[in-house]
Formats: sequence, structure tokens, C-alpha cells
Amino acid sequence: MKRFAVLQLSGCSGCEVALLNAEQWIDNYDLEYMTLVMSAYEIPEVEILLISGGIRSEVDLYKLRRAVCKADQVIAVGTCAISGGVANLGDRQAVNEIFLNEADRLHLPDILPTCRPIDTEVDVDLYLPGCPPTPDLFMAVLEEKPDLKIARTVCQECGLKKERDMRPKHLLGFQQGEVLSDICLVNQGYLCIGTSTRGGCQAICTLAGNPCVGCRGPSDAFIEKDSQVWFKSIQRVFSHMTDIPGTEIDQALRSPQLSMFLFQFADYADIGQAPRPKEKVI
Amino acid sequence: MTTLTFPLSRIEGHAQVVIETQAGEVISTHFEAMELRGFEYWVQGAPAEQMPVIVPRICGVCSTAHHLAAVQALEDAYGVEPPPLAIKIRELMVLGQLIQNQATSMFVFTLPDRMGLSSIFEDGDSEDSEKIRGEIVGRALQVRKAGTDLISLAGGQFIHPVKAVVGGVTSGIDSKAAAKMREQLAAVLPLAVDLIDTYWNLSIGMKDRIGDWGDDSATYYIAAIGDRDHNFYSDEIRVMAPDGEICDSFSGREYRDYLTYEETDYSYAGYTTYKGETIRANSLARVNMGEKAGLSHTDHFLAKFRESFGKPAHGILLYDLARGIELAYGIERALSILEEPLDNEDTDVPYTPRDGEGYGLIEAPRGPLIHHYQIQNNLISEANFVIPTVHNVQAIENALRVVAERYIDANKVDMELEQAVGRVVRAFDPCIACATH
Ligand code: SF4
Ligand code: SF4
Repeated sequence: MKRFAVLQLSGCSGCEVALLNAEQWIDNYDLEYMTLVMSAYEIPEVEILLISGGIRSEVDLYKLRRAVCKADQVIAVGTCAISGGVANLGDRQAVNEIFLNEADRLHLPDILPTCRPIDTEVDVDLYLPGCPPTPDLFMAVLEEKPDLKIARTVCQECGLKKERDMRPKHLLGFQQGEVLSDICLVNQGYLCIGTSTRGGCQAICTLAGNPCVGCRGPSDAFIEKDSQVWFKSIQRVFSHMTDIPGTEIDQALRSPQLSMFLFQFADYADIGQAPRPKEKVI
Repeated sequence: MTTLTFPLSRIEGHAQVVIETQAGEVISTHFEAMELRGFEYWVQGAPAEQMPVIVPRICGVCSTAHHLAAVQALEDAYGVEPPPLAIKIRELMVLGQLIQNQATSMFVFTLPDRMGLSSIFEDGDSEDSEKIRGEIVGRALQVRKAGTDLISLAGGQFIHPVKAVVGGVTSGIDSKAAAKMREQLAAVLPLAVDLIDTYWNLSIGMKDRIGDWGDDSATYYIAAIGDRDHNFYSDEIRVMAPDGEICDSFSGREYRDYLTYEETDYSYAGYTTYKGETIRANSLARVNMGEKAGLSHTDHFLAKFRESFGKPAHGILLYDLARGIELAYGIERALSILEEPLDNEDTDVPYTPRDGEGYGLIEAPRGPLIHHYQIQNNLISEANFVIPTVHNVQAIENALRVVAERYIDANKVDMELEQAVGRVVRAFDPCIACATH
């Protein structure tokens, strides 16, 4: 049986909870370390190490560096670990300054100036994006030959009907007013970016009537490019399918709701890291 | 002076307990929350309508509660009343979360303490314990999964749900899907009832070994559940005095007149008090306040609890047993709601966003959760998250002092202390990501 460990840095435990729901691993893998469900204080030698959460404090950094030496394969799970995820909201300078002032506590580990993805510090073998990744996706990375078919984009998995003559003139935003349950959200005027977001989640948000916010990051077509390319492709979709003015879309794409995820992989947080190769991303 | 540090596990997030002693005398017992993300700052400047998608990320264990509190705070600010059907669907989300949470706390976090294991995923060391473990784990995860499936059905997905929107919910539940969910819940109900009994008996075994149910000082209790039944969708917080009388109540809007929040220099969590008094929230508070629910298993377990421990009950480890009552409640109550038509009426009402102030209140598994927003130009200018775990911090530290005094004397520290610290903290099922946000 393969031995694996889960290291949680600064995140929300959502990734761990999703893993708990992928209960097929229980019979086939040996969980050696995961503080959410286990009292264990040191990570032993393992084949697979899953890491969730970003590097927010000195303690995170210390734990991360110690842990990776113990593992054959390091997998970054969740957008927090991969690209900052929701922590990207804190990147606006004014907000960050107040935060850092407030965060100072006499007897606590130091908070770092920004929350960083783990591959700014250690080598990562595989990335599993999602906020959180679904249980099926967790199983797909644990089993090396995943039988899960992953579509290129969320849009392909969603399959809501596109209407040629339904061309909204203005954006409804993310969620305002009634949602027709069988028609593409873009046709209805919602800011859905599932057309270029990586598939694999089975379109859970859009099928529940909520626009995709892109938590799985860009699809293979954009993943090795900078995020401007992703931006532009979304704009193209809207100009193709709607009569909404480009400036309206452009402005909306910069909203916090999307900024949690739109900077995935590419030029997030101005760290200047090279984009991740698509072969490494599930 | 000697400082003892105990890292914590089998709770959500990063925390530790630090006990300071001098010549066998306990000087302080600190519950230290070690992580901080900064949501109150991050959300400043975010468009208000985006809060229901952003704030669930405060915590993947309690995301449903944050999702709903955000929607309610906005509805309060905009002056919208969601239609009755939307309230029902939202209650189903809350119940799904209750099932998931209580099953996780009982069978994943605290069961190992009753069996001398480090985790339920670890092999037991004797044939006996391995047999019990084998019998429990599969069924426990099945019960837990019924809870997460219920959140997915009502909320779209079980972590960071999306279906509650200002004015209502995006869709109802059609009768076929409701019937399927009922079938699943009906199938796990007997498993859950069995597991609750097993857990109860193992807990009594543990109590016999250690001698009592832990810190039993009488305190105030707070919960936002309705007074008639165990309704998790109430709009007021009630306060129970140490003698069991309901002595006060207030709405989310009034929280600052009743609850005082203070920071500490050793924890990112701080603590709250009620008019200067220690309070307790979470399962024991609700069970102390709740009356019969009119649901057979729930009422059976509640009666058994009252008979054994009285009302109000104060022993710390009774929190764990109280969760069992609520696990039964979650399943039974969801079964009865799912029997009603859930796709026959409007799911939402129109609204117009406006600036101002809004409060959202929800009884989360760990107690009353309040989101309080100020909105200017449709953007959040200030946000306060009043977190259930924080209500319990002082009670946790008091209970830690009780065990510290019990297991530390001038000559030695009893090895049992480490276990005791874990048991005390887990009884409160604290959530650190929420507490520090
Ligand atoms: S990626 Fe999302 S689910 Fe995972 S830890 Fe971060 S916020 Fe939570
Ligand atoms: S639909 Fe989009 S936002 Fe929702 S889970 Fe899938 S990738 Fe993430």
C-alpha cells in the first residue's frame, strides 16, 4: 500500500474535507500524517505528500521545508497552495498594510509580508487546482492511472444550451435575478468564465445556477501563458455570444470574486515565476 | 517556571495549548490559535453581492454557515425577505452541515480518544479494538456522507456552496431528487442510531476510566435556536443562566450590547464574554435549551440525556454526547422537510441593492455566527465576523485549568495530561480557521 501524508499550511481545511469524501483511498492507501484527522507530530517517509494552503507565516515555511525532504512525490492541492487562491484578495497594497499592522502579536509566529504559493519555495511534481478539488479529482491524483475523464473546459462538462438569439446587452453580474436552469449562463448575461476554465469539477457551480468563477484555473490552452491571455479569451467569448460592451466585461473581470482565481499559474502576485507546464497539472 | 506546550490535532486548523506552572501550581492555561488569514481586511472594497462566494472560504468545515450568514446580512441591508420555500432549502443546507459536522466530530475527531488510537484510519492494536474500529468507520463515513450529499443537493456543492442568493435560492429540489435523498437518509438513520449508542457506551467507558465528565462549573450558555423546537433557523440569540433559566435574548443587530470581544497577545482568536461572564456555545448549549423536537430518535436520545445528566448539564465531555442527539435531529428533521413539496413555489424575490448596514445570524454547528457588513457604493467598507468558536475560548481555558490542576503537582506531571488536554479541546470542537479568519 502506498503511504501518503497531508500537510496543511494556511488554508481553510476545505481541501482536506474534500479528501475525506474521497473515501475510496481508505482501503488502498496508508495515511501517515494529516493533523485534521490524526494525532501525529512528524511526517514520516512517504511516497506521496499532498500540500494544501499557502505560505503565510514563518511556521508554514518551516513545516514546508521539513516535509518535502520526506516525500518521493510532492503534490500541490487547492488554489491556495498553487497560486494563493482567496489570499490574492489581500494583495491590494492598502488592505495588506492595515492587515500586517493588525497581525502583529507579541507571542505568535511572524506573518510574512505576502501569502505565497508553495512552489516559490519547493519543487512541486504535480498540481491539483480547485477550491477545493472535488473528491473524484483527489482520487485521480492518488491513482496514477486515473480512469476519470476530464474535459478540457468546464463549459464542455456543463452542457447548458446555448441560444443563438439570446444576446443580452448588459451584464447581470454574478447573481442577480432569476436563473433559467437549462440555458447557458452567458446567454443570460451572467459573468461565467467556464468557457476557458479547466474541466474536471463536473461543472458543479454552473449546473447549480451559479456562474463559474474559475477556481480550477485556466484550461490547457492558456495555462502556459500569462493571465492576460486568459482575460482576452473570456472577452472574446462575450463579444461572440452577447452584445455586452467590452468595457463592461473588462471591468467586471477585475472584480474580487474573480481575482481569487484569475491569476492562477501565470503571472499571479507579481512573483515572476515561470508558468507551470500543463503536463504537471491535473 | 515551567512551560508545557501541547500541539493540537483532530481539530480544524492550527492551535496549541500552553500551560505555565510554578512549583506545581498552575499559573495559566492558554488556548493559542496560531494562524491568521485576514478576511476582515481582504473583503474591504469587495462588491457586496460577491460576499456569499468569497466568505465560505473562511472555512471549509463551516462554509455553509458563512455562505448563509453572508446572504442574510445582505438581505438585511437591502430589506429583502426571502420566500418560505427558500428558507426551507436553506434549512436543509444547515441540517446537512449539522449531520456532516457532528458525524465528523464524533467519529473522526473524538472517537480515537475513546479507543486509545491516534486516528480512526490507524489499525487498532488489539483484535478487539480492531473489530470495533472496523465496524464503526465504514458506517460513520456513510452517515457523514449523507450530510455532505444533502448540502450538495440543497447548496450545489458541499464545500463552499453556491445556491443561496440574495432574495432566495437559485432553485428548488424536484420530487425525484428529494425522494432519492430521503432514501439515503432513511438508510443511514438506523446506522446513525446504532453508532450514537456505541459512541455513548464508549464515552461512559472513558468517563469511568478518568473519573468524571470534566469541568462541570455552571456557566452561561448561548444559542440561536428557536424556543419551540430545536430549530436552527432562528433570528435571535437566547442566553441561559447557570441555573437553567433563560435570562436574556437579543437579535444579531444588538450583539455589541451583549457580547464583548477582546484580543489577547498570545492568540489570533481572542475571546468573547456575555456581560463580562464566561459563556459556552455549541451542542451542549443547544441541548440544554432545546425542548422536545417531536422526532422519535431525537426525543429518545434527549430524554436519555436529561435523565442521566439533568438540565442544564455542565460536564465538558457531555458536549460530545450532545452531538449525538443533534446528529439524530439533523437526519430526522431533514427527512421530514424533504417530504414537503420543494419545487412548487417561487424560490426567490427581486430586490434592489442599496447602501447601509446588514446583519446575518445563523446557528452554526459551533454556535451563533454573525456577519455584520457596512456597505458604501455597493462595496463592503467594513466587515465583522462574530465567530462561534471565539465564544467558547474562555470556557476552553477554564476547562484546561481544571485538568491542569488535576494532573500537575509539585513533584510531577501525570502523563494523562496530554490526553486530557486533547479531550477538553475536542469537546468544544473548535474551528481555528473561523476563529481567526
Ligand atoms: S483552495 Fe479553497 S478549499 Fe482549499 S484550502 Fe484554499 S480556500 Fe480552502
Ligand atoms: S464550475 Fe468553475 S468555480 Fe465551480 S468548481 Fe468548477 S471550476 Fe470551480
